[in-house]
Amino acid sequence: MSHTEHHITSLKTLSIVFGALVFLTVFTVFTAQFDLGAFNVPLALAIALTKASLVVLIFMALIWDNKVNAVILAVGCLFVVVFISFILLDTEYRGDLSNTFEQTLMDERLEAERAAMGDTEAAESQAADH
Amino acid sequence: MSTPHSDQPAHVKHYFVSSEQQFDAAKMGMWLFLVTEILLFSGMFVAYTIYRSWHPETWAALSTALDWKLGGLNTIVLLGSSFTVALGIHHIQKGNKKGLIINLILTFLFAGVFLVVKYFEYSAKIEHGLLPGAAFDPHGISYGFDYATYNVPYGPQFFSIYFVMTGIHGFHVLVGMGLFAWITRKAIRGDFSAEYYTPVENCGLYWHLVDIIWIFLFPLLYLI
Repeated sequence: MSHTEHHITSLKTLSIVFGALVFLTVFTVFTAQFDLGAFNVPLALAIALTKASLVVLIFMALIWDNKVNAVILAVGCLFVVVFISFILLDTEYRGDLSNTFEQTLMDERLEAERAAMGDTEAAESQAADH
Repeated sequence: MSTPHSDQPAHVKHYFVSSEQQFDAAKMGMWLFLVTEILLFSGMFVAYTIYRSWHPETWAALSTALDWKLGGLNTIVLLGSSFTVALGIHHIQKGNKKGLIINLILTFLFAGVFLVVKYFEYSAKIEHGLLPGAAFDPHGISYGFDYATYNVPYGPQFFSIYFVMTGIHGFHVLVGMGLFAWITRKAIRGDFSAEYYTPVENCGLYWHLVDIIWIFLFPLLYLI
């Protein structure tokens, strides 16, 4: 009937992957106990990416699957990267332009902090002043 | 209705050439849906990234407000449920219907455990005012710890992001329980076989994605 048989992942492979996922969970909790400064986030993300890759490739069987599904996922991930990186180009570099005055930045910071403290009325009245 | 492909098994719709083509089409549709799910969650991850990078001190102070033991337990529970889904598919591919049913029921139960743990986490936060936006009002003392110390700038935004991300993820877990209840019923009825198990495969893919979202949420919210 079918021209290609579906890949059947062996119980051994599934068990090893499950073991690896549990180990990596323990490992990420363990490494989070130490303050590695700038490496805290990259390390946690690297472990999470490794775990996600194991789930995608073995549990979701993408490694043995029709390649079109891998392309669909890759394009989706590409757009997530574009989404995050292009937004960071804005939010990380606000106020770096030479035509922004220091006073403007200080005003904005003050306004944002007031809003964050729940002091919305003060922020609103300040906004009304402008 | 007469079928032009009378040599095909009963589960094959007349507009498909073969069972294999029908399976591949359904699976590709599922992957496209999963990409829309990834994009849905990516918006929340973007919000997380921006606020974290703007207010690292808030994240340092408030990630300790989340209990990593409960979060870690839930991670193991979800990984276990992904494992049982994969086991269930392995069994039905070999024609073992009983193996499939047992693993589907286990998956359903794991999902339930996840939501019960989540319930305890949420109720502790609601009790102590660790809430999103204007409702943010940390108070009360528990085990000698004064929750008022969590009253830091941008705390409301941290808990908005926490509740939206874990809430929408939790909703996906709830939907997953519904899906597994439905395919468990079908499995018990004997609808699936080594030749036809497409709904199991696609619900499994959905469930693995829900697991992957949590794989990222756990370290980002609870650990760092």
